[in-house]
Parts: sequence; C-alpha cells; structure tokens
Amino acid sequence: MSLKLELLTPELSLLIFALLVILLDLGIKQKKVLAGVSILGLLVSGGFVLTLWGRESASAFNGMFLVDPFALFFKLLFLIAAGLVILASQDYVSKFARFQGEYYALILISAIGMMLLATTGELISIYIALELSSISLYILTGFLKDPKSSEAGLKYLLLGAVASATLLYGMALVFGLTGKTRLTEIAQAIQTIPLTTLLDSPALLLGIILLACGFGFKIACVPFQMWVPDVYEGAPTPITAYLSVASKAAGFAVIARFFYTTFGVPDWLSLNWGILFASLSAITMTLGNVIAIAQTNIKRMLGYSSIAQAGYLMVGLAAVGVASMADTLGRSGLLFFLASYTLTNLGAFIAIIAISNKIDSDLIDDYTGMGSRAPLLALGLTLCLISLIGLPPTAGLIAKIYIFNAGVHYGLLWLVVIGVINSCISAYYYLGVVKVMWLGAPVSEEKVPSSWALRIVLALTCLGVLVLGIIPGKFVQIAETAVRIFTS
Amino acid sequence: MSVSLEHYLILSALLFCIGLYGALSRRNTIVILMSIEIMLNAVNVALVAFSRYIVPLVLTGQVFALFVMVVAAAEVAVGLAIIIALYRSRETVDVEQADLMKG
Amino acid sequence: MLTDYGYVGLFLIIAILFAVSMPLLPLTLSLLGLVPKKPNPIKTSTYECGVETIGKTWVQFNFRYYFYALLFVVFDILIVFLFPWATKLKQLGAGAFVAVLAFLLILMVGYIYAWMKRVLEWK
Repeated sequence: MSLKLELLTPELSLLIFALLVILLDLGIKQKKVLAGVSILGLLVSGGFVLTLWGRESASAFNGMFLVDPFALFFKLLFLIAAGLVILASQDYVSKFARFQGEYYALILISAIGMMLLATTGELISIYIALELSSISLYILTGFLKDPKSSEAGLKYLLLGAVASATLLYGMALVFGLTGKTRLTEIAQAIQTIPLTTLLDSPALLLGIILLACGFGFKIACVPFQMWVPDVYEGAPTPITAYLSVASKAAGFAVIARFFYTTFGVPDWLSLNWGILFASLSAITMTLGNVIAIAQTNIKRMLGYSSIAQAGYLMVGLAAVGVASMADTLGRSGLLFFLASYTLTNLGAFIAIIAISNKIDSDLIDDYTGMGSRAPLLALGLTLCLISLIGLPPTAGLIAKIYIFNAGVHYGLLWLVVIGVINSCISAYYYLGVVKVMWLGAPVSEEKVPSSWALRIVLALTCLGVLVLGIIPGKFVQIAETAVRIFTS
Repeated sequence: MSVSLEHYLILSALLFCIGLYGALSRRNTIVILMSIEIMLNAVNVALVAFSRYIVPLVLTGQVFALFVMVVAAAEVAVGLAIIIALYRSRETVDVEQADLMKG
Repeated sequence: MLTDYGYVGLFLIIAILFAVSMPLLPLTLSLLGLVPKKPNPIKTSTYECGVETIGKTWVQFNFRYYFYALLFVVFDILIVFLFPWATKLKQLGAGAFVAVLAFLLILMVGYIYAWMKRVLEWK
C-alpha cells in the first residue's frame, strides 16, 4: 500500500505553516509578519488543492481520506474564508496584541480541521476532524479578555461538547449495527441487513437521529440553534464571521457526504432523513427570520439571519435525501448556495467590523446615517444585505433560485413555498438596516475611517457577490462538477 | 446468566442519560464538564462492547475509544482554561450568573 | 454461574462482618473495663501524629497549579498513543515510526511554546 502523500499536501502544508506561525511568534516582534506567513500558507495550500482539481478521484489510508471534487470544492471554500477572515482581522488584532500568533495559528488549525471534515470517509477521522475544528473555534471565541467573550466561549464549548457526545453515541450505534467505520462499508452492510431486521430494531433510526442532532449543532439548525446569538455576540467579530460561514459550510459538507454515502440506499431510508431535514428546514428558516426581526444588535441579527440561511441550505439537504442516488441538483444547489453565502456573509461581517470598530458599538441604531459617514462601507454592507435577501443583481438571488429549483424538482414544493415566504419576511429586517444607514440622520459629521486591508477584502467579497450574481454560468458549472462524491 | 452485549448497552445508555441530565440541569460549570465526561465514557463503553461482541477480531471500537479519550482530554483542558478566564473576570463558576447576553 | 455470584456474596458478608467488628471490638473491651481509660490532650487530638494544622483547611490553591494540571493532562495523553505503538514497535515497522515522529514533532512545538512562554516556571 502506497501512502499517496500527494493527496494530503493541502492539509500537510497548512499544518506546517500553522506550526511555523506558532514558532515564529516566539521570536518575532513585528507581528504583521505572522499574518503574512498565514496568508502565504493558505495560498500554498490552495495551490496544492488546485493541482489536485481535475484529477481522478482517489483515496488514501484505506478509504479514510477521500479526494474528490466535492472535497476539493470545500477545501477551497475554507481556505478563501480563512484568508478573508485573517485579512479582515488586521485592525481587530490590536485588541490582543500579545497573542496574535496564537490567533492566526488557531484559525489555520481550525481550517485544517474543516478541510479534513470535508474529505474524510470514516467515523473516527470524522470525529477527530470535527473536534479539531471545534476546539480551535472554542478558544478563538473566548479569545478576548472581556467577560462577554469568555462567557461566549464557555457556552459554545459546553453545548458543543454535549452535541459532540450525542454525535458520538449515534456513531457508536451505527458502528454497532454494522461493525464498520468506513462510510462505504457501512452503506454496504446496511444493504445486506434484511429489511425486517432494520425496521424492527430502532438502532439505525436512533443512530440517524443522534447523528443529525450532533451535526445539526454544527450547522446551527433548530432546535440546536440556542448557542448562536450569544456566541456570535460575544466572540471577536472576525471569528463570528468565520463561525457563520466556514464552520457552517463544514457542517453541511460532512452531512451531505455522510448521509448521502451511508444512508443513501435503500430509498425508504433516504426518504426518511430527507423528510427529517425538510421539516427541520421549514422550522429553522421560520424561527430564524421571525426572531431576527426583533433584534437591536447587528451581530445578533446576523446570528439569527445565519440560522435562517441554514434553513434555506437545508432545502438542498432535503432534496438530496428525497431524491437519494438520483440527486445532482440538491448537492450542486447546496454547493453554489454555500459559495454565495460565504462571500455574502463575510462581506457583511467585514463591513460591520470596519464600522463597529470605529464607532465602538454593535447596535443597529448607532448605524444611523452611515451612508454619509462611510459611504463605501455602507454601500458594501447594503449590497451584502440585498444578496442575503436574494434580490438581483446579486449572488443570493441565483443561489436561492438554484436551491429552490432543486426542491421543486424533487417534489418539495411546500418547502419551497415556505422558503419564499420567509425570504419576504427577511427583507423586512435586512432592509431595516439599509434604511437606518441611508435615510437616518447621522449622529455626527465625523467620517468613519477604515484600513486598506478591510477595504480590499470588502471590495473582493462584493465583487465576488456581483460576479456570482451577474455571470453565474461558470460557477454553476464548477458546482455541478463538484457534486461527485467518491463512493467506491 | 452471563453478561451479554445488552447489559453493556443498557449500562452505556444509563450512563449517557445520567451525563446528559447532569449537563443540562447542573449549574456549576465544572460539574457540567464532568457530566460531559460521563457521556463520553458512556459512548466508550458502547464502542468497546460493540467491538468485543460484533467484530471480536478487529479492534476498531477500542481504537475509537482511545481517540475519544484523547479528544475529551483536550476538550476538558480548553474548558477549564476558559472557566479560569471567566472566573478571573466574574469570580464565579455558576452558569446562571454567566448571563451577560440574553435575548 | 450462580456459584460465582455465591462467592461474591460470601465475600461481601465476610467483608461487612469484618468492618462491623473492628469498631465494635475496642468499644466492648472498654465497656467491660478491660482497657484503662486515661485521656490526655495529645491522645485526644484529631491527628495523633504529624503536624498540628494551622488555619482553615479550605484555603484557595494557588492559581498556578491549574496551569500545571492543564499542561500535565495534555502531555499525559501523549502516552495513550505511544504505548500501543511501543508494544508493537517491531511489527509496525518504519512507517509507524515516521508517523510517531511526526506526531511527536507536533507535540514538541506545543512544548517549545509552553517553554518559551515561561509557563513551566514557577513565578
């Protein structure tokens, strides 16, 4: 057996750079260098991902490590998200000047965890990857010295640990039923068990439900959403952005692969979890949108909005479940929506970082008159909010059409109707912020300055949102290529 | 009467429920962390029992349990560190008093 | 099978009898007047040997102990992976050796970090 180390190059290189950042931090006084090294690491890793793109799907370590277009797509997404977050942190890191090295290293390590999560096809390594990304995020959430941040970190850790224990119990049940830990082998074992035995024993269904609970925490769907607002509010804002996009995308990556590969056949089983996700999706988007209306803190509002977006994303998962092996639209819709959501939400958070850092407040009321105080930032934030609603000419519109199309195509019309109604509800609070920024009277004439790093990142994300929205063809093609999950 | 897989599974399910109850109902964060450890150990019991009875010739379950233990240690280390940080600023380890954010 | 439990039950009964008889023995002996009763301050003190306790027992531990405990837990866990590898060192061969080296290298970075941040010194 050859090791096929070249398949691991993206993760290995990133790990080396993360260790390098930790070591350099001990000797270097000029901390800006560390950000540079981290970005370099992400670029190198991204380069390796691109060299693997377009090659035959392959696996290493006895099917534990799967390199397929699906995994590579997510790896690129995480690398981009981590890079944008690091760039967006440039102003913010002055709050913890002494610990910048740890901050960057932890972002890189959690990115490694997420990349592994998207690429593993085996229970043990899924658990390890999940914890690698989660534990780094717990620390990052509690990174600030103020009690709010510690409190957020503690809540995130305690609830996350309970969720991962639940997930593990589900894994133990699935392992016990089949005696295998590799997803493809579990799938084969499930198919060989006689149908009556499966229906008689609750072990498999209980296992699926427990797994859905554990992963549901990661993507923050109802009823596992209660940590979101507190953690989003307390965490350092760049980390909130990171949590809301990368961590969520990692959750969707692992759910899509896990459920599609393992519980995709027989059809009745697939239909079961498809309906489970469909109903959770309906509840999630409705609850997220309704509670978001009442929020006064913009970080909390975006927290609830991200719950609602998870609801839209779950339409894709439900489509995958309902269509089972015939599905392609569900997964490609999910991938395109995740790409668009990542750019959009990061953009919104970057604008908030730039504004809040200067006016020292997260309250929506304090954003009044931002249109005249910081026109560029307000414009970027407006664009991102419009994309979150799903209005033209932005990525959000195409993404929603795409994923709702998948829902309709596989017979989930009721869910899509709920989704469209929810989009209308969400317009109310997103546009509320836009109204405050452009029509409200500014509290002072003072301009809100922003650093070049933030401006560049905001410009990049806004450009991405517009490009995905105006010429989506190429990216739809990429998403369609990337639905191939390696299953042999 | 010999000890069979069911006995281990019942033990594991009971332990898991005790841990879950403790994690959701207790107020002291240290006790919550301990309850979470009980939940993870319940999983370990199930994993090792499954491994012993379902696939006696391979050690997958045992290896899984080892990894769970290691990850649990890392989690607790981080948890205690955050609790220390919170204690320094709030002088309490009571979750009900960790209530700066609500809504 | 039942006899196995029988042994356990027998053991349990003997253990309980032994535990009960131990405090009862001196009590009955003193009630019968067979042992002299001559209390003095040293004899009645809580700890007959050792140093007298000063102050309350519920003192707060120095904060630093926690850092040591945390570091100990993290590095202690290392042995969980090293032990199975070490027992099968020869069969596992060079590949496993390199893997363990890589693992140790990553941990070494953590160790160097703790060292350079002066977490290992008592201040």
